[in-house]
Amino acid sequence: MRDSANQSVESPEYPPELARLPPGRHGLPREFVAHNQRERLIAGLAEAVAENGYAGTTIAHITRHAAVSRRTFYEHFSSKDECFVAAYDTVMEELRTRVGEAFDQEDEWPQAIRAGIAAMLGFLAAEPHLARLSMVEALVAGPVVVERYDSAIQSLVPYFQAGREGRSKEILAGLSPTTEEALVGGMVSLISRRIFADRTDELESLLPDLVEFTLTPYLGSAEAAKVARG
Amino acid sequence: MTVADIVKRAGIARNTFYENFSSKEECFLATQEFAMSAALERVVAAAGSLDEWPFRVRAGLGAFLDYVVEEPALSRTCMVEALSAGPAAVRYYEESQQAFVSLFRLGRDVSPHGADLPETLEEAIIGGVFWILYQRLTASRPEAIPELLPELVEFALTPYLGAEAAGEVATAEIPGGIETASAG
Repeated sequence: MRDSANQSVESPEYPPELARLPPGRHGLPREFVAHNQRERLIAGLAEAVAENGYAGTTIAHITRHAAVSRRTFYEHFSSKDECFVAAYDTVMEELRTRVGEAFDQEDEWPQAIRAGIAAMLGFLAAEPHLARLSMVEALVAGPVVVERYDSAIQSLVPYFQAGREGRSKEILAGLSPTTEEALVGGMVSLISRRIFADRTDELESLLPDLVEFTLTPYLGSAEAAKVARG
Repeated sequence: MTVADIVKRAGIARNTFYENFSSKEECFLATQEFAMSAALERVVAAAGSLDEWPFRVRAGLGAFLDYVVEEPALSRTCMVEALSAGPAAVRYYEESQQAFVSLFRLGRDVSPHGADLPETLEEAIIGGVFWILYQRLTASRPEAIPELLPELVEFALTPYLGAEAAGEVATAEIPGGIETASAG
């Protein structure tokens, strides 16, 4: 791989605050620079997509935000689509990790669900660009990303299925094979509607509603409301 | 998909297309409007034929699922493709879901804890139902949709009535209304 980082950060057209590596001969290992360039391109894509939407984003937008050369872009990705997939995967990996850690820190399942939802809302509210990328723009970024989006949503199902464990026969009789899918779908639709409308500042206030909604089939509405209020 | 694809399928001239629509996007929105109002009409007719709210929900959902099964291509356009067809289509998709909110909201009057239910409950229920249908439509399994009715009714009614009563409504035999809706 060519050492194109030096060349790009020295280029005068890039504002210094966008260059996240110090210019000149920094003496960093080549793999690190390459990895860092990839991260910068991913961050650059997120900024470019937030500004122009997926359809309106060009490779020039991405490289400008990332403060790297066009040649560097093509050393890492063959197309805008490929860069978007990498960005999407990075965001979802981060989200998955945070939700999983929050969930695992609680002993009781209802509190774990609450913590997991809180972690998801917290991340999306703190990162409105990434929220838009992963929940709105992903759907227009072609079939490869849409498929990943669908399976990312489905990957939340097991967290809720865990709530079946130890429930009474009567409760279990009230749950159907699609209960968890419907709960997850309802939750995601509330979240993505607010991101679509640029109202990410409202996301965290959804926490009690989402907790009550998702716990009600397992705990009944009175108990679910109690957990929801924290 | 291009305008050429549309006119070929429709068996009309390109000119005729542009006499009716200025763009593919405009044609897409008209398709959404057409399908959603047809589906809503069926839902309102079915729900309106019954007195009790839980059975109205069941009849309305049943009519909606029937429409989806009868019109899989239109439904796919409105409930799957719409999400990737640009901001105007997504906005229409979101707004059309709101039409169902009022039907569900009436449940607050019959629920013993109606006043305490979360403000966003109806939005979440409808989002859940649409997501299940999205899944079945992307998997190209529309024929599996009608059998989802009892599960979806139970899912939608549980927050208002509790799981037990919701389950009873989902599986109860009702003479008249429901059967008419399913057959229609």
